[in-house]
Amino acid sequence: MNARSWRETLHRRVGRITEPQILFPLIAAALLIAVWTATLGVVRLKDAEAEHDAALLSRELLGTYEAQVVRVLREIDQTLNLVKFWHERNAAHGALSELKNRGLLPPDLVFSVSIADRDGAIAESTGPVGTGSVADQDDFRKQRDAGTVLVGQLPQGPTGDRKLLFSKRLNTPKGDFDGVVMVAVDAAFFVSGYDASKLGEHGVLGILGTDGVVRVRRSGESMFSGDVVDYASVLPKSDEADAVPPLSRSSWDGVWRWSTAREIYGFPLAILVGLAQEEQLATVRKDALGYLSWAAAGSVGIILLMAVLGRMSWQLAQSRLRESESRLEHARRIEYLAYHDGLTGLPNRSMFSKLLTQRISEARRYNKQLAVAFLDLDRFKQINDTLGHEAGDQLLIDVAARLEGCVRDSDTVARLGGDEFVVLLPEMDDGKQASIVAQKILSVIGKAFTLIGHEFRVTASIGISLYPHDGDDEQTLTKNADIAMYQAKAEGKNTFQFYSEKLNANTLERLTLESSLRHALERNEFRLYYQAKRDIRSGGIAGMEALLRWEHPDLGTVTPGQFIPVAEDTGLIVPIGKWVLKTACMQSVAWQNEGLPPLSVAVNMTARQFSDEYLLQDLAAILKDTGMNPQLLEIELSEALLIHDVETTLRILTGIKSLGIRIAVDDFGTGYSSLATLQRFPLDTVKIDRSFLGEFIGRSEDSVLADAIIAMGKSLSLTVIAQGVETKEQAEFLRTHACDELQGFYFNRPLPAYQFAQLMRAQTADISYIGTRAGLLNPEL
Amino acid sequence: MKATALSLLFALFAAHVHAEDIVVIVNPTAKPVSKEQIVDAYLGRSAELMPVDQTVGSAIYTEFYKKATGRDVAQIKAIWSRILFTGRGQPPKQLPDSAAVKKIVAANPNAVGYIEKSAVDATVKVVLPLD
Repeated sequence: MNARSWRETLHRRVGRITEPQILFPLIAAALLIAVWTATLGVVRLKDAEAEHDAALLSRELLGTYEAQVVRVLREIDQTLNLVKFWHERNAAHGALSELKNRGLLPPDLVFSVSIADRDGAIAESTGPVGTGSVADQDDFRKQRDAGTVLVGQLPQGPTGDRKLLFSKRLNTPKGDFDGVVMVAVDAAFFVSGYDASKLGEHGVLGILGTDGVVRVRRSGESMFSGDVVDYASVLPKSDEADAVPPLSRSSWDGVWRWSTAREIYGFPLAILVGLAQEEQLATVRKDALGYLSWAAAGSVGIILLMAVLGRMSWQLAQSRLRESESRLEHARRIEYLAYHDGLTGLPNRSMFSKLLTQRISEARRYNKQLAVAFLDLDRFKQINDTLGHEAGDQLLIDVAARLEGCVRDSDTVARLGGDEFVVLLPEMDDGKQASIVAQKILSVIGKAFTLIGHEFRVTASIGISLYPHDGDDEQTLTKNADIAMYQAKAEGKNTFQFYSEKLNANTLERLTLESSLRHALERNEFRLYYQAKRDIRSGGIAGMEALLRWEHPDLGTVTPGQFIPVAEDTGLIVPIGKWVLKTACMQSVAWQNEGLPPLSVAVNMTARQFSDEYLLQDLAAILKDTGMNPQLLEIELSEALLIHDVETTLRILTGIKSLGIRIAVDDFGTGYSSLATLQRFPLDTVKIDRSFLGEFIGRSEDSVLADAIIAMGKSLSLTVIAQGVETKEQAEFLRTHACDELQGFYFNRPLPAYQFAQLMRAQTADISYIGTRAGLLNPEL
Repeated sequence: MKATALSLLFALFAAHVHAEDIVVIVNPTAKPVSKEQIVDAYLGRSAELMPVDQTVGSAIYTEFYKKATGRDVAQIKAIWSRILFTGRGQPPKQLPDSAAVKKIVAANPNAVGYIEKSAVDATVKVVLPLD
């Protein structure tokens, strides 16, 4: 782990270095360090080189100067010796002119040779004679005692045309002092080899005596003499000839020079050569300044370049960042869309089921409860249909906002689709809390909404399931909350309902029915059964009622009482009803074509079918398509349905009637309708409800009631049919009370089409058989 | 006082010489020489010719160098000091007068000298008048 984390840390650090704000300053710093190191190195190297070169040059110049001085001194010495020899040998005057004529004396231009007699008076001279006597000069006095070459001194100060005087003693043949031979040389001559191209303006070239007195020194064009220097200190410390002269400060003018001196062999003189440090290093210093300027310019360039590159790189990185951010944003948006409802912005079904799963696992871990509340708006479809989708959408948005407003932050509101919402309450202590929330939601939803300028009120139905009581997984909880919600709707809406096992049994069945019912038509699972209506007098088949049966593949035959309410609720009744009408008509036409007697066919119609706006069109189309005689078709409507909205009913009934279809009132006597109301409707038949038959036999008050109902029908000139006749007593009673037709299990159970066809054929062939079966025509009864 | 009078006399004499034209002469057999060759010879730049001088400090000496090289006596002395000191040559031989110059030039095909124009005769050839 350590090795790996180390590696990761290293990788991260290295990665950080490549970030432009670090990388480019680093590169810049590295380059600057490199440039300045190199530059300073070169400057120092050049400086050292120049110093070394100057020192070497100084030594070399010393060598050259020495050679020149020595040659000149030898020449002077030779001249002195020559004159001395000539004088001593010839002991006569005129030695100089003699020698000069022979060209043995050095050029007059620089050298002037003189001879002084033993008294110091100038006896002979090649140059202009000064005072005419040298008797009072130090050198002259010294020469009386010594025989060496003496070099005269010059007074201190600038040296113009002053001369250095070299002298030698002249002897008589006996060896006595006989005067002095002198060679006077311009002091400037000894420093005329000053080469400004090498020594510059501040170098020094000079000659000093071993007494430390400078005979002449020259710097540039200026010549001086007479300074006293510390003779020992100017001579090199070591004897090595090629030792590099040190840098020292000249005592006379304070200039730093590489200077060195050397004694001249055989003369009490030394030569001095010096190169001024400042001057010698001027070039290299200037070069150094140039290098430093270039380095500075380069540095600025590097910094600028790096700044530009860094900025560009930074911008690139920024734009990449922005791009990736926008991609991320896009991805987030996609994810948001995938998990949220576009209309309300609430989490959608997938998000909700994820959340719920998560909350369940949390609740499980911490032993907590949670509640799932399903909410469905009660009249949403109507609002959508009447006010339009935009208003419907606005309502959903408002509802979403209200829901969000009345739950805690920890709760989740989601929209599952349509007008279905769900609220997840993850922190529940008991069911009571859930009911408080549900009540709160109902009251909030119940407040008026303003849609397209109108105030509306809607209600909602809420179903609640609790974890862990009603399920311990997302699917079960969701399903059970849904079931509870259906139950709440069944309870009368604008209410909430907790899930219970019982609830589940009922609702599950209903749900199963509902979903199966949707497919029943496609799968051709519906059948029509036919029940005969008997003429009460002849006992023959007067007509039939078509009855719907559902052959469910799993449940077997499902009775209309079980599935019609579901079909009615879901609106599936409309297509089913059309199928029934069409099938009944086709069957009737088919039988007639077979030669069977034309019999009336009654078909039941529910409230939903009756109020369907396309009813009349559908009826007309079916009649046309099947070729059915409308007079043979009878539509049965319940009494309660008719009196619900009299005016509308009247309009529809008139429409049906105008198609030629007969109209029957089913379950007559249960709707408490007034005679006056019934009178207004274009009715053909009334069917007395079976409840009147079940009990009136043997009870006089029931008999009176049945009698009154039959009489009422008769008074309206309607055909009166008694339905649900199951016993002989009932049949007997009805016959005596002048009922027109009878229908019921006592005569015939509802039969499938083919059996009913057999029944009809049998009656046609042998009417007495049926009569016997019916027991009506039996005279013995 | 005496010295002053002598100096004055000397100055007058110099003025007289100044008035007189100087000519550069060579041996009649010599090839023609240019002014540059002459100047180079008297300034020690070339050893092609053998120049001879009149007495240092004499009027004709001063005048010659001034006219031929544009330099004064001190400069000429410095130039020859340097040459002599560094051992690269010897200054021209000094002769006492124009007659001595003519004699040398007449005797030496390489020699070159300067004299007063009036002193010119058939023993020498004038190569450059200086005025």
